[in-house]
Amino acid sequence: MIVARYILADLLRSQRFILPVFVYLATLGVLFGGDPGPPPAGWPASALVLYPVSAWLASTTANSEDPVARLVTVAAAGGPAVVARGVLAACLLADVVLAAVSAVRPVIPLVTHVYPYPPAELLGGGLAHLATATAGTAVGLLCARPVIERVGWSLLAAVTVVVITGVTPWLPPVGTAVKTIGTVPTDLAAVVLDALIGVALAVAASALTTVRRTPRPR
Amino acid sequence: MDVELSGVEVRFGRAAPVLHDLDLRVTPGRPVVVLGANGSGKSTLLRVVAGCAAPTAGRVTGRPRHVGYVPDRFPSQLRMPARSYLRHLAAIHRAELSDAPALLEDLGFTGGLDVPMVRLSKGNAQKVALAQALCSRAALLVLDEPWSGLDMAAAATLTSRVTDAADAAVLVTDHTGTAAYLPGARVLALVDGRLVPARPPRPTVTITLRGAEPLLPHLPTDTSVDGDRVIVRVPVEERDALLAWALARGCGVLAVQP
Repeated sequence: MIVARYILADLLRSQRFILPVFVYLATLGVLFGGDPGPPPAGWPASALVLYPVSAWLASTTANSEDPVARLVTVAAAGGPAVVARGVLAACLLADVVLAAVSAVRPVIPLVTHVYPYPPAELLGGGLAHLATATAGTAVGLLCARPVIERVGWSLLAAVTVVVITGVTPWLPPVGTAVKTIGTVPTDLAAVVLDALIGVALAVAASALTTVRRTPRPR
Repeated sequence: MDVELSGVEVRFGRAAPVLHDLDLRVTPGRPVVVLGANGSGKSTLLRVVAGCAAPTAGRVTGRPRHVGYVPDRFPSQLRMPARSYLRHLAAIHRAELSDAPALLEDLGFTGGLDVPMVRLSKGNAQKVALAQALCSRAALLVLDEPWSGLDMAAAATLTSRVTDAADAAVLVTDHTGTAAYLPGARVLALVDGRLVPARPPRPTVTITLRGAEPLLPHLPTDTSVDGDRVIVRVPVEERDALLAWALARGCGVLAVQP
């Protein structure tokens, strides 16, 4: 995806991705540091933390390009929808990477203890993280440009949505994924469903950002 | 293929519409030059045609998928080096490996292709924006004040490049008076949100005077005051007469610029 490659190149150069990614890696370090323990170890906590982190990363990705340069990109690419799909693809790629890192972290023997993590558990852990990460992407995209132009309002809106939806255990995909991953053996069907809901939410959010609105002067 | 606007309206909030029931057809080989006062909605019109802003009402038809667009103020804070930016944009345009570096050289680009664009001067950043659009092979070029900020040689290169793009539909705003002399150019003015035929502007020069405040009532209408300086814009052929007249009344001439 050509637009996604450009968006990622611009984001990597901006270094704005470092803070959310660092916060998340530090969280993993605290949760799994030294002795991660048997499954599910710190997964319920890390999956929950990944939700706001992914929202933060998604709005950073959406806001990374200069607004006037974005006009040039939109004209070149063939419309706002093409660019929105590029931003979405970049965010989903980041989600997959962060979910994979979260899933394999407890089996990397950084110190000494190695616990049995059967492949099904690793898959369940990865999918649960993918569910919360993609849900975060959906929130982040809806709380960034071109929906919310100002960074302050972006932050307030995203924090409000994340706090309300993140602590509701019955609410898919975040609440249910965090709950499911807390019991061993993991209900794989349930986390697959959560991941699918998460991806669907991210795709829907991306499409919503290009719905035609009253134009604003710039 | 012609790009056609029908009944286009743009309004911001509850204010009066910036563009009102506007119709326009842009045909390849017949550049459309839009004139108008500051804030008359020229840039808004160009964004609507380029497809990066949606009109409140009305339709744009015949727009090709990829549009070469140059904004009126290309951002100077881009982190990417010009070479990477041009490579990415050529890919997004689905253009062949572009001849953008060669065009940049013709435009007298001096900034360095591999330093972040934030270190480029305004003129050099503008040249990157022009290279991005002109090398895109796009069937529609939308250029917002492309001649502004360019030196004479670069302006001539730009004029010949736009002239060569005869198979592309071209929509351009230009206050320097250059675009009106493009072959086949159609000159329109944006007045109260609508396009009306206009006469091409005569080439003008800007004269900056000191100590001319007492003469203000006698100066042409296109005159502004900036501190102790008076800035007059006059047709080229009236330049010498105005200078002689002002000097005879004790003014100092600070600058004469195109």
